[in-house]
Amino acid sequence: MKKILSVLLCMCMSASILVGCGGSKEAAADADVIKIGVFEPLTGANAAGGELEVEGMKLANKLYPEVLGKKVELVIADNKSDKAEATTAAARLIEKDKVSAILGSWGSSLSIAAGDLVKNNKVPAIGASCTNPMVTQGNDYYFRVCFLDPFQGTVMANYAFKQGYKKAAIIQEVSNDYAVGLAKFFTDAFVKLTGDESSIVEVGNYNTNDQDFSGILTNIKEKNPDVIFAPGNFTESALIIKQARSLGITAPFIGGDTWETSEFIQVGGKEVEGAVLSTFFDDTAPANDEAKKFVEEYKKEYPNRESVAAVSALGYDAYILTLKAIETAGSADPQKIRDAIAATKDFQGVTGKITINEQGDADKNTAVIKTVKDGKFTYLDTVVIE
Amino acid sequence: MNKRTKLLLNIAALVVVILFIIIANELFDSYIKRILNLCAIYTILGLSMNLVNGFTGLFSLGQAGFMAIGAYTVAIFTVPIEARSLIFYLKPMNAFLSGIHIPFVPALLLGGVIAALFAWLIGAPVLRLRGDYLAIATLGFSEIIRIVFTNAQTITNGALGIKNIPTISNLWWTWSIALLTIFFMILLIHSSYGRAFKAIREDEIAAEAMGIGLFKHKVISFMIGAFMAAIGGGLFAALLGTVDPKQFYFTLTYNFLLIIVLGGMGSISGTIISAFIVTGGLEWLRFLDEPMSIGGINIALFRPGLRMVVFSILLMIVVLFYRNGLMGQREITWEAIGEFFKKLRTRKTRNAKGGAKVE
Repeated sequence: MKKILSVLLCMCMSASILVGCGGSKEAAADADVIKIGVFEPLTGANAAGGELEVEGMKLANKLYPEVLGKKVELVIADNKSDKAEATTAAARLIEKDKVSAILGSWGSSLSIAAGDLVKNNKVPAIGASCTNPMVTQGNDYYFRVCFLDPFQGTVMANYAFKQGYKKAAIIQEVSNDYAVGLAKFFTDAFVKLTGDESSIVEVGNYNTNDQDFSGILTNIKEKNPDVIFAPGNFTESALIIKQARSLGITAPFIGGDTWETSEFIQVGGKEVEGAVLSTFFDDTAPANDEAKKFVEEYKKEYPNRESVAAVSALGYDAYILTLKAIETAGSADPQKIRDAIAATKDFQGVTGKITINEQGDADKNTAVIKTVKDGKFTYLDTVVIE
Repeated sequence: MNKRTKLLLNIAALVVVILFIIIANELFDSYIKRILNLCAIYTILGLSMNLVNGFTGLFSLGQAGFMAIGAYTVAIFTVPIEARSLIFYLKPMNAFLSGIHIPFVPALLLGGVIAALFAWLIGAPVLRLRGDYLAIATLGFSEIIRIVFTNAQTITNGALGIKNIPTISNLWWTWSIALLTIFFMILLIHSSYGRAFKAIREDEIAAEAMGIGLFKHKVISFMIGAFMAAIGGGLFAALLGTVDPKQFYFTLTYNFLLIIVLGGMGSISGTIISAFIVTGGLEWLRFLDEPMSIGGINIALFRPGLRMVVFSILLMIVVLFYRNGLMGQREITWEAIGEFFKKLRTRKTRNAKGGAKVE
């Protein structure tokens, strides 16, 4: 038995080596290819988000397969939602595949882990949805096309203030960098707008995968806030809203773009009706021609998806921005592409106008506010902050 | 084989390894170097876990917690002071800590000492438990560490993590520490302490009857294991240049459990081999994730994720056919290598004579 097995194993191994060789020969044959690395979590905890982003990039690659007369090839490397794996994946893209630029990753911590590598090897990277300010901080080679935690927090604070809310409570997912950042900037902006130091009446913390929030909610009920800001993961947030309603809390809930998933409505059911969130993109009201084209093509390409996720749109933007930069640079040299990306101004993306600032972040001034109505995310408002 | 030849062989092997590191450091690109660095770190972490689980027979799952202590100690103390206000942008860093900067090596050792101290603290009550209960208690400990780090915003920067840790990019740090660890483990296992650990693993009552202080030896093993885990964690932080609490989720421990089960519980050489197989194998299998076409037709099977499927199948095969891992409790010794070649030679001569095959 052992012998048969070892023979089988040997065959597998040698076959795979042969196949591996075949692949590399193919790559060597056509030097007229510009390679762009896709650095995304396709397995592990963040796989769902990574998959959506890759969909946007693949679609963009299909619509715009060429630049400078050369074919653009996407080299996809899975970072397994794991930091150690993320650094080897990024190193592989840079050293082995010799990519001209890197797109990704979903999950800021994975992008931060790859940050040193792209900086030291001087290969530009564009994040699609990594909102943590630390991704681009002190790194001249990391850029992004999404807005940041500070902006989103400010948008929601402005929204709450406009609705006439005076007292807010915060429930944050303390183990999530995104939620903590959003909560902090919401607090700053809301205190400034209301001019009242004590306008945040209560802050509750919870951890990812928590199920019972009655302790936090009972405290909040006593303080009787006008509005509750609860940035965090969709499942937990939906549970929070459910439990709040059963405790008799009637204050409206507002949150960030992570809520925009079908699971949020599935878990929350009727109770999440009226919840308000800010997001990057609205597929029912495309902002420009590019966006219209994107939505149409996306629905054709992925007919199973109910709606177009904002991160797919951002993935699409990251790709077309890179392509534009390659065109402007006139070469596939990473350093030149980097300079072209850094000089991007008023680029018309699917998610609005993008100008890359000194930090390497996208200066965006538009956010979309959506609400849950009749079990669907419905467009409510577009907020522009100068 | 006498002692002298063995010593010479050992020195020769060491020289070969060092030569290899010199060559690798000069010639290999950063991708290969990164994998080799990871191999070395996983060797250290695998050995630390094997000391407790494989040699002393304590089923402990606290590895991730001890790693976190080491990683965060290195992160907090080696980040350049001028970068700190940028990193701690939500809440400023604790005023006492924000002015302290320690070089890499002392910070690494400090992390090890703190982890050992914690091991002693929790070891005292927890090591009275056995089997599954010990596993649960240590697992709980590692989760507590993670949650404390998540909430200690002014010290660890909470969920945002710390970045800008000065990184190591050459092979010397990781490999010299890995070699030291291997050397130390060999000495330890062959000392009276090591024999006592093994006696405890085999039968606690018999060991006690022989006059071995059960509790003392268990605590010693647990503390040394924690120290090594923290050193590995510190190196890990310095390799990645960033830490955050999510990295030290309890599933991280399973990576090392996998390494020691695959290599053999209670085998140093097995741990080293499987650390290389697990780290290198996963990278090598990456071609399975890439789209592939044979004769112009794309095969849908080759998509991201296939790598993990194939890797799991290979692991299952190994575990099914080698119940005790690749090495069991055996070690690769010069005698064993000598025996192997002798056998090979006799088999050849017999085959040449037309004799029956020797199994």
